[in-house]
Amino acid sequence: MSSLADQIPAYLPAWRRFKDRAATATISGGGASVLVAILLIFFYLIYEVLPLFTGASLEPRAQFAMAQGVQSEYVAIEEQGELAMSVGNDNVVRFFQTEDGAIRDSVELPGSGGTLAVVAQDSPESRLLALGYADGTVRLMRHQYRITYPNDQRLITPAVEFPNGDAAFTLSDQAITALAVRDAEEGLVLVSLHDNGELHGLRITRDENFLTGEVEITEESLSLPAGGNTVSVYVGSSQRWLYLLGDDGSYRVVDLKHRGADIVLPVVDRGQLFEGRGNLSASALLLGGISVLAASDEGELAQYFMVQGEAGPRLQRIREFDTDGETVTALIAEHRRKGFAALGQQGRIQLFHTTAHRRVLDEQLDFSLPVEPHSALSPRGNQLLLQQSNGDYRGVALDNKHPDISWSALWDKVWYESYPEPDYIWQSSASNNDFEPKYSFSPLAFGTLKAAFYAMLIAAPLAICGAIYTAYFMAPALRRKIKPLIELMEALPTVILGFLAGLWLAPFIEDKLTGVVIILLVMPVGVLLFAFAWSRLPVNLRTQVPDGWHAALLIPVVLFLGWFSFAISDAVELWLFGGDMRVWVTNDLGISFDQRNALVVGIAMGMAVIPTIFSIAEDAIFSVPKHLSFGSLALGATPWQTLVGVVLPTASPGIFSALMIGMGRAVGETMIVLMATGNTPIMDINIFEGMRTLAANIAVEVPEAEVDSTHYRVLFLAAFVLFLFTFVVNTLAELIRQRLRIKYGSL
Amino acid sequence: MNMQTHAIDMQALGRQPTSNLDTADTSLKVEDLRLFYNQDAQALHDINLEIPRQRVTAFIGPSGCGKSTLLRCFNRMNDLVDGCRIEGSIRLEGDDIYAPGVDVAALRRRIGMVFQKPNPFPKSIYENVAYGLRIQGINKKRVLDEVVEKSLRSAALWDEVKDRLDESALGMSGGQQQRLVIARTIAVEPEVLLLDEPASALDPISTLKIEELIYELKSRFTIVIVTHNMQQAARVSDMTAFMYMGKLIEHDSTDKLFTNPAQKQTEDYITGRYG
Repeated sequence: MSSLADQIPAYLPAWRRFKDRAATATISGGGASVLVAILLIFFYLIYEVLPLFTGASLEPRAQFAMAQGVQSEYVAIEEQGELAMSVGNDNVVRFFQTEDGAIRDSVELPGSGGTLAVVAQDSPESRLLALGYADGTVRLMRHQYRITYPNDQRLITPAVEFPNGDAAFTLSDQAITALAVRDAEEGLVLVSLHDNGELHGLRITRDENFLTGEVEITEESLSLPAGGNTVSVYVGSSQRWLYLLGDDGSYRVVDLKHRGADIVLPVVDRGQLFEGRGNLSASALLLGGISVLAASDEGELAQYFMVQGEAGPRLQRIREFDTDGETVTALIAEHRRKGFAALGQQGRIQLFHTTAHRRVLDEQLDFSLPVEPHSALSPRGNQLLLQQSNGDYRGVALDNKHPDISWSALWDKVWYESYPEPDYIWQSSASNNDFEPKYSFSPLAFGTLKAAFYAMLIAAPLAICGAIYTAYFMAPALRRKIKPLIELMEALPTVILGFLAGLWLAPFIEDKLTGVVIILLVMPVGVLLFAFAWSRLPVNLRTQVPDGWHAALLIPVVLFLGWFSFAISDAVELWLFGGDMRVWVTNDLGISFDQRNALVVGIAMGMAVIPTIFSIAEDAIFSVPKHLSFGSLALGATPWQTLVGVVLPTASPGIFSALMIGMGRAVGETMIVLMATGNTPIMDINIFEGMRTLAANIAVEVPEAEVDSTHYRVLFLAAFVLFLFTFVVNTLAELIRQRLRIKYGSL
Repeated sequence: MNMQTHAIDMQALGRQPTSNLDTADTSLKVEDLRLFYNQDAQALHDINLEIPRQRVTAFIGPSGCGKSTLLRCFNRMNDLVDGCRIEGSIRLEGDDIYAPGVDVAALRRRIGMVFQKPNPFPKSIYENVAYGLRIQGINKKRVLDEVVEKSLRSAALWDEVKDRLDESALGMSGGQQQRLVIARTIAVEPEVLLLDEPASALDPISTLKIEELIYELKSRFTIVIVTHNMQQAARVSDMTAFMYMGKLIEHDSTDKLFTNPAQKQTEDYITGRYG
C-alpha cells in the first residue's frame, strides 16, 4: 500500500486541488456573469424607462417688477426662455429678461387713439396676435426673435412686425371684450365680441394664382348670432368651429363653414359645460386648436372637443381633471405637447396632460397677491411666468420632461382628439408639431400575440407530429438524416425568411389565394387518405417497404397534392368565388384583405419556429426509456397505444418546453414580422390582415426616435414589456414543467 | 469422481416441491429456431425445445449465451430490434407465432413479459395494473377494480398498496415495483409468463418474495424464467434448459439437470468451472 503512495508524484495533490478550484471558480464565474448580464439589461431598461413615470418638479425664481403700474394683457416667452414679451394696457410691447425683468426693448403700438382692451393669440407656434381696442378696431401683430452669435455669445434680438401694416380692421364701433384669431394657409378668421353683446366675424381669404403668383385677398364678413352672456370666444384650428363660452358655464358652437341660405351662421350645438354646476372661471384652447379646456369656479376642470354624433356634430366632454377642489383662474396650454398648466388664484400650480389623463405636478407657491390670468409658459415647457395683480412677475422653472405617459395612456382605450370614440391606437409621430402622440401598447401586444398565435397554429402541429413520427416510428437510418436536416433549417437567418415571406410568399398568396386555401384543406386529408389506402393494400405489397421508411412514400403524394391544389384552383375559384377569391373575401365575407397578412407571417414564422419545437420535442420523445415502451408493448399494446398511453405522457414535460421555447421565439422574432406583416398596428384577429408586434415596432421606430424623448423612452418601455412578457411566460412554463416532471419524472 | 458431489444440493436450497412433469402438455414448441442479427451474426443455432404448460422452465447459461434472446422470441420482442431475422418456428398451442398475418399485439397479450429492470409506467399504482385492460378497451370501473385487486393479491402486493392505489408507482421500492409489473402482466391473464432475470436488480428479501410468487403463479400460468443465478433456477423451476454460445446444450427436468447432467458442458457450468 505504501508502495503505491510512493509512486504518486509529490506535486500532484496540490496540482489537483488547484485544478479543482480553478474549475469551480471558472464555472461559478461564468454562471454569475450570465445572471449579471441579464440583470444589467433589466436595470438598464428600468433606468431608461423610469423617467416616464416620475412626476414633474418646479423651482420658484425671484420676483421682479418690470414696468410699474402697467398691467399686461398678454405675456409670452421666446424659444430660449431668455426673453419674455408683454403687451401692456398702455399700448406698449416690452421685451424683458425672464431672469430679472430688465427691459431689452420696447415698441409703441401704432395707436388709433383707443386703448388696448384684449389680446388674442393664434397658435403659439405662429406668434401671431390680434389686438382688440376699445374703439372696436383690431390690429394684427407678430413678435419675432432673431438669434445671432457676435463674439460667440448668443444674442437674441426681438422685433415686432405688423402683417397688415398700420391698417386696422374695424368690426364694430363698440369696445371689444373678447377676441379670437385663427390663421391658416388659406386665410385668416377674426371673431370679436363687443360691449353691446354683438359678435362680429371676418374671414380674410388669400387666393394665390399659381400661374401668375398674384395674391388676391378677399374679405368676407361673417354674420354671427348674438353674443348673449358670452365671455370667451375661440376659433378651432380648422377655422370651422367657433366656440362661445358663457360666464354661467353655457356653451354654443357655431359652424363657420356652413353653406346655406341662412343669414346668420347656425349654432350646431349648445349646452352646459358643467351640467349647471358653477360658472366659467377659466378656459383655453389646447395645442392644436381642437380641444377646449374649461374650468368652473367650483373646481371642475374638463376637456372638450367636437365629435360627430348621430344628430350631427356636438361638443363632447372627453375627460375631467381632478384639481383637488381648487378653482382654476388661468389655463395655459403648452406649446409642444398636449399638456397645460392650471393656476389657482393663490398661486397653486398644477400641471396636467390630457392624453395621459394625468396630473404631473401640484404645488402651492407662496404669493402675497392674487395671480393674474395673463401668465405664460415657455415653448419648451420648462418655464412659467406668473403675473401678479400688481403687475409684478415671478418666474418658475419647471422640470416636466415626460408628462404624456400613464398606465391608461399605454393600456386603456383613450379618446384621442378628432376620434369618434375611445380607441387603442399606436401612432407615435406625424408630420405636424401639434399632433397628439398615441402610445397605446395594446395593439402592439395584441399584434405580438396574434403573430405568435398564427405561427404556433402552423408550427406546433407540424413540429410535434413530425417529432413524434421521427422519434418513435421512423427507421433509425432515416432518422439520422432527417433530424439534422430539420435542425439545419434553424440556422437559416430569419432575415432571409422574412425577405422571402415579404417579397415572394405574400404576393404569391395574394395571387394564388384559392390554391393556398385548397392546399391547407387537401394536404392533411389527402395524406390521411393515402395512409388508409396503404393499409388496405395486400400484405406482401406492404412488406416491400421496410418498417419506418413509410414517410418516404409520402414525398410523391405531397408533391402531387401540391400540384393538384394549384391545378384545380382556377376552376374552383371560378366555380365558388366568382373568379376572384380576394374580392369574394372582401365583399361577401366583409373581411378586409392585406397582402402582408397573418397567414403569410404564420407560414414564414412557423417555418422559423418548427425546427426549434421539432428538435426539442424529438429529443424528449426519443429519450423516453425504451424499457417503458417495451413494457407497454409486452402487455399487448399496439405501438399507437404505447405512444399515447406511455410515451407522450412521459415526454410531456419536454414537449411542453419545446412549445414554450417555440412560443418565446415567435414572440421575440423581429425580422420576419418586420418584413412580412405590413406593420399596421391594428387590433383585429382576422387572418387576412397584418399586425405590428412589439419587437418590430422597436426595430422600426428606434432609429428615428430622438434620444431621451418620450417616444424613445416609450420604445424602451416596449422592450421592457417584451422582456417581462418572456420572463413571465418562461417562469410559468418552468413551473408547469416542474409539475409535469414530478408527475412523470424520475425515469 | 461422483457427479452428485459437484452438483447443487437441491434439498438445502429450500426448494419448492416439483410438479409432475409427465402429466404436463406442451405450451410452447420451438423448432429449428435460428436467429440472426444484421445478416450474418447468428445469435441462436437450431434451437428445439418444448415448454410444458403450467410449469416453470428456467433458462440458464453464461452471459451472452442467447437465453434472453430466445425468451424474447416467444413474444416477438425481437421484432423491435433493427435487422433481426428469424428462421424456424415457434408454436403456441400449435399456432405458429411467426406466421404472416399474426397480430403481434394480440400475441403479446397471450404471452406476457416481465423485464430485468422494474419498469412501472409513470402513472398511479391502480392505473399501472389497469393499463393492460384499458388498452383492450375495458373501461368499466367495476371490472377494473375487481381485476386490479385480484392481480395485486396474486402478486402478493395488495396488502402493501391497497391504501395508496392512487399514488405514483414510482414511489415504490424496487421489489414492490417488480411485483407491480408482474401484477400488471397477469392482469390481462396471459397464458405464458416470460420473466427475464426478474430478480437480478433486487435485494435478497425481494428476490425471495418474487420466487415465492413464481411458485404461486405456476398453477395458473406457463412460466419461462431466464436467470443467471443457478440457485434460483434450481429453487423455482421444474424444467431447466442450459444454453451456451447460442446453442441449447441440455434441456431436462431441473432435478435431473442439476444432479445428473448429461452433458459435460452442463456439468462444468453448474459446478462453477466457467465462473
